[in-house]
Amino acid sequence: MSKRKIAKKAAAAFLLMLGMVCLSGCGQTASSGKIEVEIVSYKPEAVAAMEKIEARFNETHDNIHLTINSPNEAMTILKTRFIRENYPDIIGIGGDINYSNFLDAELLMDISDLDVTKDIKQAYADMNKELEFVPQDGIYGLPYVANAAGILYNKDMFDEHGWEIPKTWQEFTALCDEIEAAGIQPLYLGYKDTWTCLAPWNALAVGLTPSDTCAQVNMGNTTFTDNYRESAEKIKALLQYAEPNPYAYGYNDACTAFARGESAMYTIGNYAIPQIRSVNPDMNIDSFTFPANEAEEDNVLNSGIDLQFCVMKETPNKEAVYEVMRFLYDDDTIKLYQQEQGGIACKEGDFEIPKELEGMRSYIEDGRMSDYQDHHYPSEMSVDAMIQTFLLDESDSAVDKFLARFDSDWIRYNRDLIWKVQQYQKGQ
Amino acid sequence: MEMGSKMTTREKTFWAITIPVVLLFFTFNTLPMLKGFMYGFTNYRGYGGYDIVGLRNYKDLFTDLRVGKSYLFTFKYALVGTVLVNVLSLIMALGLNSEIRCKSALRGIYFVPNILGGLVIGYIFSFFFTYILPALGNALNIAWIKNSILANEKYAWIGVLIVGVWQAVATNTIIYISGLQTVPEDVYEASNLDGATKWQEFWKVTLPLVVPFLTINLVLSTKNLLMVFDQIMSLTKGGPAQSTESISYLIYRNGMDGGQFGFQSANAVIFFLVIVGITVAQLTIMNKKEEQL
Repeated sequence: MSKRKIAKKAAAAFLLMLGMVCLSGCGQTASSGKIEVEIVSYKPEAVAAMEKIEARFNETHDNIHLTINSPNEAMTILKTRFIRENYPDIIGIGGDINYSNFLDAELLMDISDLDVTKDIKQAYADMNKELEFVPQDGIYGLPYVANAAGILYNKDMFDEHGWEIPKTWQEFTALCDEIEAAGIQPLYLGYKDTWTCLAPWNALAVGLTPSDTCAQVNMGNTTFTDNYRESAEKIKALLQYAEPNPYAYGYNDACTAFARGESAMYTIGNYAIPQIRSVNPDMNIDSFTFPANEAEEDNVLNSGIDLQFCVMKETPNKEAVYEVMRFLYDDDTIKLYQQEQGGIACKEGDFEIPKELEGMRSYIEDGRMSDYQDHHYPSEMSVDAMIQTFLLDESDSAVDKFLARFDSDWIRYNRDLIWKVQQYQKGQ
Repeated sequence: MEMGSKMTTREKTFWAITIPVVLLFFTFNTLPMLKGFMYGFTNYRGYGGYDIVGLRNYKDLFTDLRVGKSYLFTFKYALVGTVLVNVLSLIMALGLNSEIRCKSALRGIYFVPNILGGLVIGYIFSFFFTYILPALGNALNIAWIKNSILANEKYAWIGVLIVGVWQAVATNTIIYISGLQTVPEDVYEASNLDGATKWQEFWKVTLPLVVPFLTINLVLSTKNLLMVFDQIMSLTKGGPAQSTESISYLIYRNGMDGGQFGFQSANAVIFFLVIVGITVAQLTIMNKKEEQL
C-alpha cells in the first residue's frame, strides 16, 4: 500500500509541477497594482536608448509600469507570440512589409484620436500609407525615427586626397577609379550577410524606379523586368570596386574594415554608424546620396521609417497605452533616443540631423526621399538571397535570368495579395 | 487471488508511470503535429485570419524550385554525412576499444564535440573557414581554399558537412564502443585459432556481430543529418545563393519569419513522411542482416 501512496504522491507532485510551469509561462499579472504596459521593440541595437526611456517613464509615473523588451530576432519572437495569441501592448517595428502584414491581419489599433499623429512629417506619413496593401481609413503606425541609406565615406581620407563628392553615376565610377589609382580600395562589401545586398540595391532602385513599383506590379500595370534592369546592372558594376569575393565577409567584417580605413566608402545606411564607431570611435564619417542617375536632379535619397510604434488592437488598457505613446513622442524623449541612436526624427520640430548625414541634408530638408523598395518585398521571397545569387552568377544572361526570376517568384509569393488588390480594384 | 492483486498493484504503478508521459507526448508532440497538419490546408500567415485553400499548398510544394533545391541539398548532405559519420566513428571506436593508454580520457575528449552547442561550434568554425583556412591556403598556395569555402556556391555544403560530421561522430562512436564490448572474447580466440588475419577478423567476426548497433547508428545519424539546422544557422544562413538551405531551415525561416506558416506546415508534413519512410526502409533492410550468436 505504501508504494501505491508514493506513486500517487509522485504523480500528484508531477502534475502540480507541470501546472506551475504552465502558469508561470502564461501569467502576466502585475504584482504591484500598477497597470503594466509592455513594448516589444525590434531594434536590439537600440537597447541602451530604450532602457533610458523606460527608466525615465517609470520615474515619472506612479500608476503605470512600462517594460520595453528589445530581444534579438524580435520579429521572429513577435510572430511566434502572435501564433500563441499573446500580444504586447505596443510594438516598435520598422516601416516594412511586416507592418503591412500586421495591419492586413487586423492586429493594429486605429490611433487617429491621439493628438501627436498630427505632428508627424508628411513624407513619412505618406510612406506608411504606401505600405497599406489596400487603402485603409485611420492611422495605425506612428513613425518615430527614420534612417537614410546611400554611401558613407571616410571624410578625412577624402579631404586628404581632395576627392569630390560625386553627383552622377559617371562621376561616381570615375571617383572609384581615382581611389583605386591611389592604392585604396573604394568599397568593402559584406555580402555574406545577404541582407546587406539590399542596401546598395535599395539606394539604386529608389533613384531609378518609381516608389510605387511593387503596387503597380500587383495591379498588373507593369513588370519588374521593365523597372529593375538598370538597378541590376549597376549593383553588379559595384563588384569591381570591392574586395575580391565579398560573399566571404559579413556585415561586421565590412563595418570593421571601413572603420579601419581599409576602404574609402561603404554602401550602407546610417544605421551602421554605431557599429562602425564601436571599432573606431573617432572616425570622421560623412555620407552622400547614392548618385544612381546620369543627371543630379533625378537622384532620390533612400530614406525609410526605421522605427515606429503601433498599438495592438488587443491591448486592455488603452488609456495607459496612450499615456505611454504621448511620452514616447514627447520632444525630450525623441532627443534622448537620438542621442543614443542617431537617426532622423519623424516628428516636426526642432530636431538635429546627425552630423554624419550632413551630406544628405538638402535631400532631407526638401523631402526628396523615397522608401526602401524592399519594404514592399515579402520576406519569404528572400530577395536578398536572390540578389546574392544574381551577383554570384557570372554568365552573360545573369541580368535576364534575375529579372525573369524576380517576376515569376513575385507572382508565386504574392498570389493572395495580388488577388486581394485586384478584388479591391474591381470593387472601386 | 493473491497473485492477481499483486499484478494489479504492479500494473497500477506502470500506468502511473506511463500516463503522464503519454499525456506529455500527446500535448507537446502529437497535438502540435495534428494542428500543423490542419494548417497545411490553409494560407495561414501565423497570425490574423486565414482561408482554407485545400490542397494548393501540396501542389505548390511539388512545383516550388526552392523547396526542391532544399530537398536535394538535404539528401545529398545526409547521404554523404551518414557514410562519413559511420565509417569514421567505427574506426574511432575500434581504436578507443583497443588496449591503449589513457583510454577513458581519450573517450571523454572525443565526446566533447557532442556536449558543445551547435551554434557555438558553428561560430568557431565560421571564423576558421573565413579567416584561418584561407590564410593557410595562401601560405601553402592551395587554390581552392584561398577564399572562404563558405562563400563558394559549390563548396559551402562541404563546410557545413565537415562541422556536422565532426559533431555527429561523438555519439555514434560511443554506441559503437558499447557494441564492440558485447562481442565475446571467445569468438576472437576461435577465429585466431582458425588463422584469420586481423582484416578477416573485422569483416567476418566483428562487423556481423555489431550490425544491431550499425542499424541504430544508421537510423540515428540519418535522421539527425536530415534535420540539420544549427550548423546552417551559424555557418551560412542558407547561403551563398541559397545553396545550403536545408528543409528544416527553410521551414523555420519562411514559416516563422516569412508569412508562410500554412505552406511550410504542409512542407513539414511531407518531410515527416519522408523521414518515417527512410527510417522504416533502413530498419527492414538492416534487420535481415543481423546475426545472432
